[in-house]
Amino acid sequence: METAIEIRTDSLRSTLWRPLSGASRGYRWAVFLAFLLGAWGLACWGYQIVRGIGVAGIRRPTMWGFYLVDFVFWIGISHAGTLISAVLRLTGAGWRTPVTRAAEAITVFALMIGALFPIIHLGRPLIFYWLFPYPNSRLLWPNFRSPLLWDLTAISTYLIGSVIYLYLPMIPDLADLGQHASGWRGRLYRLLSIGWTGSDRQWHALERAMKQMAGTILAVAVSVHTVVAWDFAMAVAPMWHSSIFGPYFVAGAIFSGIAALLVVLAIIRKALHLEAYVQPIHFENLGKLLLLMSLLWFYFTVGENLTAWYGNSPAEMTVFGDRVRGRFAPYFWLMVFCNFVLPFVLLSNRWLRSVRTVTLSAVAVLIGMWLERYLIILPTLSHPRLAAATGFYSPTWVEISITASTFAAMVLFYLIFCKLFPIIAIWEYKHVSHR
Amino acid sequence: MFLTAEFGDAQAIAAAIGALKARGFEAGEIDVFSSEPVDLPDGLLERPSRMSLVAVGGAACLGLLAILFVHYAQHDYPLVTGGMPLFSWWATGVVFYEIAMFGAITATFLMFLLESGLLKRNGSAPTPVLAEGGIRLRVSCAPERAAATTECLYQTGAASVRKLENVP
Repeated sequence: METAIEIRTDSLRSTLWRPLSGASRGYRWAVFLAFLLGAWGLACWGYQIVRGIGVAGIRRPTMWGFYLVDFVFWIGISHAGTLISAVLRLTGAGWRTPVTRAAEAITVFALMIGALFPIIHLGRPLIFYWLFPYPNSRLLWPNFRSPLLWDLTAISTYLIGSVIYLYLPMIPDLADLGQHASGWRGRLYRLLSIGWTGSDRQWHALERAMKQMAGTILAVAVSVHTVVAWDFAMAVAPMWHSSIFGPYFVAGAIFSGIAALLVVLAIIRKALHLEAYVQPIHFENLGKLLLLMSLLWFYFTVGENLTAWYGNSPAEMTVFGDRVRGRFAPYFWLMVFCNFVLPFVLLSNRWLRSVRTVTLSAVAVLIGMWLERYLIILPTLSHPRLAAATGFYSPTWVEISITASTFAAMVLFYLIFCKLFPIIAIWEYKHVSHR
Repeated sequence: MFLTAEFGDAQAIAAAIGALKARGFEAGEIDVFSSEPVDLPDGLLERPSRMSLVAVGGAACLGLLAILFVHYAQHDYPLVTGGMPLFSWWATGVVFYEIAMFGAITATFLMFLLESGLLKRNGSAPTPVLAEGGIRLRVSCAPERAAATTECLYQTGAASVRKLENVP
């Protein structure tokens, strides 16, 4: 794989503005299919609201199923953008510029999707606003000790912060677009650029704000997935009640986030013809980061399972046994293969590392990380401490449809975003290149 | 009145700013316009900022408000907690932390809008039209100093110097 960055700024603007106008037949088909699948998911959710949560496969004792798996998975994916972009910005990684906006957009869309799942999962989703801090008809306030309230505040803060973090570096590009675009697009860009003129006061304020936001958003991102981990770890349930669940989840979130970013980069590179800007070096660097996170994930997974096995507590051993050699074993070993074996083989050898193998590893990691969320939630719930309450969960078509539709929603959001805004921060790319 | 000068690179504009400051112009009277940030030597065109301080203040204020609010809410309708405290720092710490972070984020964004001058609409100074890749300097000066300032800008490498009209 090539490891040198070739700086191209001559045709940057025209290359990145080209996808904003017109729509190819492939684009229209992709939007249509994604919309169709997304609409199907919404219809399924409507069906669930009308018929009740019983149409999902969740039964005692497995009261959390696909919806909670999807929730944790998407919140994890949301760490792609803001966290990776913030780390790269704070460390001054010069190669980051073609990557950051694509990553930040993933965060916003993944959070919007992930935040829906606790509501989808509610028995009466139409009264989800009871979570908001105001007294109900019995003058009862929400219980702020509840992890549900922790999630609400953490995810809301992260979503607002991520939107601002995505928006701030877009302002100069929007102003530039606003000068050249006409019609509704021109009006939209000018409205969003809020009168940007490119004065040094504005650049100073922007750079300062972005640096400060990067630091703040890092702290929020880590806390968000820690809070999601604590949703589980605070319960005295076998294989959940662990002090390393917070860092384990954060590491897993960054791991799946990098994988999602790599997949998105591979697609937009090909579809928008950005080969000159999203170069093999970006896949090389992110591939190395993916390998590092794969090793970290493996370390955490071994640590988590080894202590459970060595402790030999009957409740934990039941869950552990079902996970590694019982009903869940095929998923467990597939997860290990996807998250560790395949990335390790493909990414640790520099002769094997290419754009294609890095993307393949990223796809495998996404599958593996979804399975990991599944394996964290379901085996424990299937084996509560009361042995007589053992049960098994199998998802219904409603849950499978809603899960599939969220992937379609992600594609749809991204397609619309790429059509409205340049996917690379043009000014930042030029500035870092000139430096 | 305002004068605007076009420059080719950051070194020339740094020299122009240095020369203007030597002639008694304040940093507040000088603005640089560009399509990407211009790296000027430290201290040449200082833009003092209170963004960090205000962000910390925003975090402290909203964090404190959250604490007071939760304390009030828990006591307003005291649930039966089996002898445990009604208001628990540990169990509600996450909420306070997140709200404090929310305060820092919103304060940073508001300070960005304030310090960048994006919120100022009325009576704003005229903005020079920027060519692709160009760097423009705008200086506010009295009409009697215009000729000398124009000459100074040309001497430091300005490609062109023009007068900018005030926005009514």
